[in-house]
Amino acid sequence: MSVRHAVLGLLAQRPRHGYELRAAFEAFVGGRENWEVNPAQIYATLTRLEESGLVREHGMAQASGPEKRIYSITRQGKDALREWFSTAIEREHQRDEFFIKLMLCLATGQADPYKLIQTQRAKLYQDLHNITVQRTRANPQAELARILLYDKAIMYLEADLRWMDLVQARLDEIMRQPMPEPDLKPRGRPRKMQD
Amino acid sequence: MLPDTLTMSIQLTLAARYLWGRKLRTLLTTLAIIFGVLVIFGMNILLPTMLSAFQTSLLNASGQVDVLITHKTGETFAPRLINRIQDIRGVRAVSGSLERTINIPANFYRSGTVGAVSLIGIEPRAAQQIRDYTLAQGRFLQNNDTNVAVITGALADTLKLKLGDDLTLPTVQGAVKLKIIGIRQTLTMPGNEPVWVTLSEAQKLLNLPNRINTIEVKLDTLDAAQRDAITNAIAETAGDDYQLGGLASGSEFLASLQSAQLAFNGLGFLALFMGGFIIFNTFRTVVAERRHDIGMLRAIGASRRTIIGLILVEGILQGVLGTAIGIGLGYLAGAGIVAAVSGLFQDFLHITLGAPVIEPMLLVVTIVLGVGVTLFSGLMPALSASRVPPLEALRPSVAQVETVRRISKATIAGILLIVFAGASLFTHNISIVALGGLCFLIGLVLLAPALVKPIARVFGGLVAVVFAREGTADLARGNLTRQPSRAAITASATMIGLAILVAAVGVLMSLRGGIDNVLEKSLGSDYLLLPPALGTWGSDLGADENLANRLRAVYGVRAVSTTRFAATSVGDKQVNLLGIDPETFPQVSGLNFSEGDSRTAFEQLAQGRAIILNGVGAAQYRLHAGDSVKLASPEGEQTYQVVGVANDFINTKISTAYISQANLKRDFHKTEDVLIQIDLAPNADVAQVEARFQEIVARYPQFKLISGSAYVQEMRQTFNAAFSFYYILLGFLALPSLIAILNTLAIGVIERTREIGMLRAIGATRRQVRRTILAEAILLAATGTAFGILAGLYLGYVIVLGIGASGMFPLEYSFPFAGALAAVAVGLLFGVIAALIPARQAAQMDIIHALRYE
Amino acid sequence: MSLVQTQDLTKIYGSGETAVTALDRVNVKIDAGEFVAVMGPSGCGKSTLLHLLGGLDRPTSGEVLIEGASLGKLSDDKLTELRRRKIGFVFQFFNLIPVLDAVENAALPVMLDGVNASKAKTQARDWLERVGLQNRLHSRPDQLSGGQQQRVAIARALVAEPALVLADEPTGNLDSRAADEIAGLLRQVAEAWGRSVVMVTHDPRIAAYADRIIFLKDGTIVDETRLHTKDGQDAEMVLGKMKVLAE
Repeated sequence: MSVRHAVLGLLAQRPRHGYELRAAFEAFVGGRENWEVNPAQIYATLTRLEESGLVREHGMAQASGPEKRIYSITRQGKDALREWFSTAIEREHQRDEFFIKLMLCLATGQADPYKLIQTQRAKLYQDLHNITVQRTRANPQAELARILLYDKAIMYLEADLRWMDLVQARLDEIMRQPMPEPDLKPRGRPRKMQD
Repeated sequence: MLPDTLTMSIQLTLAARYLWGRKLRTLLTTLAIIFGVLVIFGMNILLPTMLSAFQTSLLNASGQVDVLITHKTGETFAPRLINRIQDIRGVRAVSGSLERTINIPANFYRSGTVGAVSLIGIEPRAAQQIRDYTLAQGRFLQNNDTNVAVITGALADTLKLKLGDDLTLPTVQGAVKLKIIGIRQTLTMPGNEPVWVTLSEAQKLLNLPNRINTIEVKLDTLDAAQRDAITNAIAETAGDDYQLGGLASGSEFLASLQSAQLAFNGLGFLALFMGGFIIFNTFRTVVAERRHDIGMLRAIGASRRTIIGLILVEGILQGVLGTAIGIGLGYLAGAGIVAAVSGLFQDFLHITLGAPVIEPMLLVVTIVLGVGVTLFSGLMPALSASRVPPLEALRPSVAQVETVRRISKATIAGILLIVFAGASLFTHNISIVALGGLCFLIGLVLLAPALVKPIARVFGGLVAVVFAREGTADLARGNLTRQPSRAAITASATMIGLAILVAAVGVLMSLRGGIDNVLEKSLGSDYLLLPPALGTWGSDLGADENLANRLRAVYGVRAVSTTRFAATSVGDKQVNLLGIDPETFPQVSGLNFSEGDSRTAFEQLAQGRAIILNGVGAAQYRLHAGDSVKLASPEGEQTYQVVGVANDFINTKISTAYISQANLKRDFHKTEDVLIQIDLAPNADVAQVEARFQEIVARYPQFKLISGSAYVQEMRQTFNAAFSFYYILLGFLALPSLIAILNTLAIGVIERTREIGMLRAIGATRRQVRRTILAEAILLAATGTAFGILAGLYLGYVIVLGIGASGMFPLEYSFPFAGALAAVAVGLLFGVIAALIPARQAAQMDIIHALRYE
Repeated sequence: MSLVQTQDLTKIYGSGETAVTALDRVNVKIDAGEFVAVMGPSGCGKSTLLHLLGGLDRPTSGEVLIEGASLGKLSDDKLTELRRRKIGFVFQFFNLIPVLDAVENAALPVMLDGVNASKAKTQARDWLERVGLQNRLHSRPDQLSGGQQQRVAIARALVAEPALVLADEPTGNLDSRAADEIAGLLRQVAEAWGRSVVMVTHDPRIAAYADRIIFLKDGTIVDETRLHTKDGQDAEMVLGKMKVLAE
C-alpha cells in the first residue's frame, strides 16, 4: 500500500490541491495520530504521478495569497485506479519481529524467553485494553467506520495473544528441538548414495 | 441466623410458581393425595352418620331428659330401682318405661309404608312430670287405659289414621289392635315414629311382665355442679350394671358397621401410602431436575434450611390442596352414599338416616394424615436437596446416570426381609406371619431396583418381538435400566396396587368357599321363619312359645328348633347371646366347630351354665374351650363355662355366643323366639305342610316363611352382590397405581425432553418416539405386575392363614387364578393407558424447543 | 487493606496417587473497586480459585480473607450468610429460576436475607434499570436473550450491595456482541459502582476490560499484568501502530 493509490482515489472523487489531499486522507484514517502523511510525501507522490501521466496539474491563480496548484485524474489514472480496485492486497503474514526476537533469544541465550513472552503479552494486553476503552467510547451511530478499524486492531491483538499462549505452551518442546540452521549448499562433489 | 418466617414468602412464591409451571405433574401428584383423603374422610363420615341415626332413633322419644338410665346390656330389668332413685336428694321425678323397636313387615299396612315404630310403654302420670306431652288432638293416656295408644301426627298421616281409629301392631302374641286416643305433634328428629301406650299394656304386648328397660329422671336444679353431684349419686345407686345415657341396644349392628369401617380405613391408608409413594417419586425427580437452581440458590446465600423449606413448602401446598379437595370430595362421596343407602336403611334396618355427620376429630385426623403423608414423603428428597453443593450451579448440566452398585445395602436388606417373611410362614404364629407379610412388601420395594434390570431385559425381549426392527424396545429398556431406582419406584407403586388386588381376590375367594360351607350347615333346614332384620336381633320382634308349638303340631314336621336372643356384655364389649335348645338345634341346624366337638358341646350346653362362643367372640376375649367367662345380665354377672368355639352363618362377623334357652330365660328373662328352623319328616307332604305353615304364620306377620334351599340360594345371591361391591372397591384401589405409573412416565418424558429432541433431530419419527415411550410403559407395567402378583399371592395366603389361625372363621386358601389374570390384564392395560398422554406429548414436542430445554 | 486476600491458598482434589493439585500456594490481593480477570488454560485452577474466593468450596490449606476475616473459620450457615451479603455471583449459564420473572430473580438474594418482598423488589427494579433492563422487568428468562439474562444475573449479584462480585465465564455462553456488553457492564460495576469484580475467562478480548489480569498455570500464578487506562491520545497512537503492523 502506498499513498499513491490514496491520492489517485481522492482525485477521482474530485480535483483537489495538495493541502486538501492531505486533510482528506487524514479524515479517512481517523486522524494524524493514526496514519501521518507529511506534505512532502504528498507532493513527491503528485510529481511522480504527473510524470507517469496519471494526474494532470491545472495552475490556478488565487484571488489573494499564494497561487495554488489544482490536480485532477487523467484517463490513464482512472485505469490505474481501476486496476488497484480489482486486485487483492498483498500482506506479508510471515514477517514477525517478535518471532525473530524469540529465536535470537533462544539462540543466544542472552535473555529469558518466558520473560520475553510475558513482556510482549503485557504489552499486547495493554494495547488491547486501550483500544477496548476507545472502542467503548466511540459512538456507533456516527463513528462506525472508526469502530471498524478498532475492531480490526482488536482482532489482530486477540490473534497475537492467542499465538502468545501457543508459543508459551510449546516453548519447552521448541527448546528441546535443534535450532534451525542455515541449509548450506555442499561444496565439491555430491556425496555418494552408497555406504 | 436466618429469620425463617421472612424467607417463607420467597419459598411460597417459588413453590407456587414451580407447581404452576408443571401443571400436569402437580395435578397428578395432588390427585394421589386427594384420593387417599377422599376414601378416609368419605368412609368415616358414614359410620358416625349411621351411629347418630341410631342414637336419635333410640332417643328421639326422650327429648329433654336430665338423666336416662338403662341396663348395661340394654336388656330389661325390674322396676324396683325407680324407688331407690326417687329417694336421692335433688331428684324431682322418676319414670320407668319399656321401649322397644317393632319392625313392621313390608306391606303390613295397606294405607302406607312404615319400616318400624317405637313402642313406648309409660306410666302416664310420672311421665308427664318429666316431659311435656302436649297433644294436637284427643287426650293423653291414663293409668288404667287398655288397648289404646297415642301416636304422632306424622304416623297418623302416613297410615291415614284419625282419632278413634284402630292401629294394628305385630306383637309376640300376634297382631293386636290399639285405639288411637291422642295425636301428638310431629317430631322433627329423624328416627322411628313412637307409639305411646301404658306401661302395663307394653309389658303385656311384649310379654315382659313387670319389667322396664328405661328410667328417666328429672332433677331439681339447673346448677351444673349440683347436677353433676346428683348424677353421680344416681350412678352410685344404680351400680355397675346400669349405665347413664343412651340405650346400648342396636350395638350388634354397629359392630358390623365398625368392621366395614375398618376395611374402608385400610383401603384409605393404602391409597394414602401409594399417594406418599407418588409424592416421594415426584419430589425426587424435582430435586434432580432442579439441581442447578438449588445450587444457585445455595451459592447466592440460601441456607440448607431454606432449601429444605422450599421443597417442603411445595409439599405442604400440594398436601393442603389435595387434602382440602379430598375432604370436599370425600364429603360429597359420603353424603352421596348416605343418600343412596338411606332408602335401604329405611327398608331393611328401619332407621332413618339424617344429614352426614362430621366428627371434628375425623377432620383433624384426616388433615394431619393428608398433609402429614405429603410432608413425610417430601422430607427425604428435601434433605437430599439441602445437600446439593452450591458448586452444582457452576457445572454444565450432564444427564445423570446412576452408578449401579452390584449389591447395595438396600438389596441385602430386601433379601433378608423376604427370607424372614418366607420363614415366618413356618412358625404358624399369626403375629409373626403378619409381620412377615409387611416385611415381604418392604423387602420387595427394597429389592426392586436390583431386579429391574434383569426383568427389564426379559420383558424387553418380549416387547422387542412386538415392536420388531425399530430399536424402540432397546431404547425403552435402556431408559429403564439407566435409572433403575426411579423405574423401581413406579413399578413398586403398581406392585403394591396389584398385590393388594390379588391378595384381596385370594382372600375373598377363600372366604366364599368358607361361607358356602357354613351356609349349608347352619341354614340347611327345610324351612325357616325369618324375622324382618336378620342379624340385628335386638330390634326384631319375636313370637312366644305358642308359635313353635303350633308348628311342631303340624303333621309331617320332624323337628322345630328356635333361636332366642339377649344382649349381654363381657367386660365392656357387647356380645349377642343366642338361646338355643341343645336337643333340637343340632337336629335341624348346626355349627361349624373349630374347638370342641358338636355332640359333647351341645350335651354340656343342656347341663348348667355352659356357653359356645363364635370365632370373633373367642378371638376378641382370647377364650378357649375350658375357660370361664363372666356375662353381664339383668340379674348381675353370671359365670359360664366355655365348651366350644363354633360359627354359624348369620353371626360370623359379630361377637356371638350360644347358651341354652333355659339359661337365657333364667338369667336374661327372654323367651321370645326370633328365628325358627323346621325340618320335615322324610315322607311329609310338602305342599300340604307348607300350606299349613302359611296359615299359622299369617298370625305372626313379623315372620317370613321361606324354604331353606331357597334361602341359601338367596344368600348366595346377596353375597355375589356384596362381592361385586368389593371388586368395585378394589378397582378404585388400583386407581392410584394408575396415577403412579402415569406420573412416573410423564416425569420421565419431561426429564428426557432434550434427549427426545435429539432423537427427533437425528431422524426419529413421531411414531418411533411414541413407541419408545409406550414400550417403556409396558416394561414398567409388566415389571410391576410381575412383582404385584407374586406379592399378592403371598399376602393373600398369609391373610387366609391368619384368619384360619385366629379361629374367627374356618378357611382354606383358594388360589386366585381369576385375580392373577385380572392383575395381568389390569397391569398391562394401565401401562398402555398411562403411556398414551406422555407418548403423545413426547411425539408432538417441538424439536428446537426440546433441544433448548433446560 | 485489600478487600480480598489469599494466603498460600491450596486445593488438592482426591488423595494418594490420584490426587490432583488444583491450586498450589496461591497468593492474591484484590482491592476494593478493582476489576481482575483470571486467565489460563483449562484445568489451570482458575475456577477453583473463584470457588474458594466465594466460599463455595473449602481450601485444603491456606486461607481466604475477606475484609480481613478468614472464611475457613466460618460454619456453613455463616458462610451462607457471607455469600448472601458480601458476595455476588454471576454464572456462565445465567442460572435464573425459570418460573420467576426478571424482578423476582434479581430480588432473590435480598429476599433470602429476609427483606420483605416489596422492598426487595424495589431494590431489584432499581438495579435492573441500572443494567439497562427497564423495559424487561417482568419478562421471564425464556423471554429474554442470553445477554439480557446475564444482565438480570448481574442485577441479582448486585442487589444485596455486595463488596465482591465473582463471575465465572460470564460471557462463555454469549455471542461476541453480547459478550462485549456484559464485559463493559462488569467494568462499570467496578469503575462506576465501586465493587471488586473477579472474573474467570478464557477470552483475551473480555479480559482486556479488566484492570489486572492474573495468569494461572498448573495451579500457580505465572504472570500478572496491570493494565492502565490512558487517555484517548495514547490509544489512538496504538491504533496507528497497529495499522503499520498491518501494512
